[in-house]
Amino acid sequence: MTDDDDPHDPHDARAPRGGAADDWYGEADPRVPDASPWPERDLGFYGDDVFLGEEAVVPEELGGVHSMAPPTLEDAANAELRELERRVEQHRTPAFPIDLRRRLPLEGLWRRWRSLAMWGRSDVVDDFGRDPRAGARWEWLFEFLYSKWFRVEALGLANIPDKGRALLVANHAGTLPYDSAMVMHAVRRDHPARRDVRPLVEDTVFHLPFLGPVMNRIGGVRADPENAERLLQKDELVAVFPEGEKGMGKLWRDRYRLQRFGRGGFVKLALRTNAPIIPVAVVGAEEAAPMLGKVTWFAKNIGIPWIPVTPTFPWLGPAGLLPLPSKWYVQFGAPIDLGRAYGAAAAEDRLLVNRLADQIRTQIQTMIEELLGRRRSPVLSAFLG
Amino acid sequence: MPSTSATGRVVAVTGACTYLGGELLRRLEEDPRYGRVLALDIRPPALTPGGKVEFVKVDLTQPTVDGELATLLQQNGVDTFVHGAFLSHPTHAVEWAHELEDVGTMHVLNACAGIEPRRLVMVSTTLVYGAHPKNPNFLTEDAELRGHRDSRFVNDKLRAEKQVQRFAKEHPDVEVCILRFAPILGPSVSNMYTRFFTRPVAPVMLGHDPLLQFVHEQDAAHALQRAVESRATGPFNIIGKGVLPYSTVLALLGRVPVPMPPFVARQISKVLWATQLSGSPPSFLDFLLYLCVADGARAQRELGFLPRLSIKRTVLDFLGVAPEDGATDVARAQA
Repeated sequence: MTDDDDPHDPHDARAPRGGAADDWYGEADPRVPDASPWPERDLGFYGDDVFLGEEAVVPEELGGVHSMAPPTLEDAANAELRELERRVEQHRTPAFPIDLRRRLPLEGLWRRWRSLAMWGRSDVVDDFGRDPRAGARWEWLFEFLYSKWFRVEALGLANIPDKGRALLVANHAGTLPYDSAMVMHAVRRDHPARRDVRPLVEDTVFHLPFLGPVMNRIGGVRADPENAERLLQKDELVAVFPEGEKGMGKLWRDRYRLQRFGRGGFVKLALRTNAPIIPVAVVGAEEAAPMLGKVTWFAKNIGIPWIPVTPTFPWLGPAGLLPLPSKWYVQFGAPIDLGRAYGAAAAEDRLLVNRLADQIRTQIQTMIEELLGRRRSPVLSAFLG
Repeated sequence: MPSTSATGRVVAVTGACTYLGGELLRRLEEDPRYGRVLALDIRPPALTPGGKVEFVKVDLTQPTVDGELATLLQQNGVDTFVHGAFLSHPTHAVEWAHELEDVGTMHVLNACAGIEPRRLVMVSTTLVYGAHPKNPNFLTEDAELRGHRDSRFVNDKLRAEKQVQRFAKEHPDVEVCILRFAPILGPSVSNMYTRFFTRPVAPVMLGHDPLLQFVHEQDAAHALQRAVESRATGPFNIIGKGVLPYSTVLALLGRVPVPMPPFVARQISKVLWATQLSGSPPSFLDFLLYLCVADGARAQRELGFLPRLSIKRTVLDFLGVAPEDGATDVARAQA
């Protein structure tokens, strides 16, 4: 958008622009004829609410607005027509449902229904759909899982910066993403800055009925490079599980053996946004939902990649989806500043990206081995801690 | 017709009877920078008598309308053409809709190709991105236009937009600007979404709750005015501030959600659409399943358009309720 020099150019008749994004709409701007385009309405009795049926109850003169309302008869010339209407109204046979509605206290009911429907949700969510009130609503459940059920021990929380962007890279396990919830809760509960982690959720979970929207409301974001980049540009903490679906679909015999780390997208992301990578090792999630096998038959028909078979599922029905009470450790490693070491241009170097991704994978694998070494016996202490 | 005096720009607006067209006419009428305005439609819009807006009857579905248009543009020395003759509701008259939107755009472009007006502004919608499970949370203007596999309503607009984009490539001297509006809500606009949200009950896809995005009618009209006066070219997403989950929008409006599995909803919707009992086609249900939210950064940067009203305010304004704290709610979310 460049202004040329022609003074007679009708396009340039207005005041100089450029950087005018903030001031052009202000009241001070005489170019804007309608700083307050909608009339100030005194809604009076109807102020809180308006009935929304086919016949809008709010009279026109009270400013009741109905999107489908026929054109109003405001002209003085239409007085005759209004008089006619008034007479028609007088002689109208009362239509049963309409008059019933007017006699019943439906306004109050409607208002109550609206406040009931808004219960447990706030009328403002952030750009990615996190609803602060919905998050608070599930807080008790996470707290219970965190401190009572899994008895999570979070180590190395000091490695997470108090402010600024960072990319948490963690291993993934379990049939349901309890691990991302616990990483989130650990940082919110025990980190001095009580930061919110935005976990990236893979498509299969994000589009699951019920679970997907709940994950979204408490802060989960669909795993998509554009989303992640946008979040990091806003200096958020983003948690990514590069194993993705393959990590969640690991069988019991493969436990704590990290799968391929995607295509190294998280490394590119860190290089491009200059965000430090914080490796995270989660131990305990494998025992919480040990997957003995998986059934792919019929699973695609109900929109999931497989039906897990665990010691409790599907034998106990939905209750079988509850995790076993294993003892968890979550270790946050020292930040790795790839941006400083390699520069943003390195994101295009595929060989380097893949090598870095594998290095980080190895590092997390080592962290897991160390944590596993703390356990005295392989199975019993997985639960007793 | 009298030829143009050198007193200002001459604008031609198709779809003068649409909400956006009418608002644009009203705003151009008040603006002294515009010499004359031609309102093109099949029926006359509400005009202030004695103003500079003239109504010319133009039916874009006529096979030889492009010649007529070309003569009209030539005679009046039109320098800015605003093409807004698009349907806001899906219709069962799909053949006619196709003639109007897809072929009508072809006629408009044929006329513009000869005359080469200085500026061409097209009204489009963010629905052309399509609701898709792989959509990122914010679709930028570079995102693929997926349209919708079986929605004539969306695909006609998509084809019209592709024609305009091709025109822009072939005629680099014409400043072509495409505005993709998020669904417009407000007290006076009428479109597919306002009809949908006017009903007391609304279908909900069981277990799904995508984020929705709207733009207030006043913001949308301002963006169009802005696009006419600006010199920016290319596609722009015109969106409102903030997003809300579908369920929260229903709760704010006090509508009764009727949850049903998607395949059941689709069957019911097919029956309702075929019997003309419902105004939204079955393909619309995808927009209740998956995200279709656009990013407005480019419009802010290059067009200088910043939406003024939050989505909550927009929804409440549509409902006719004055919000108590409408101005600050988005700031509260970001704090």
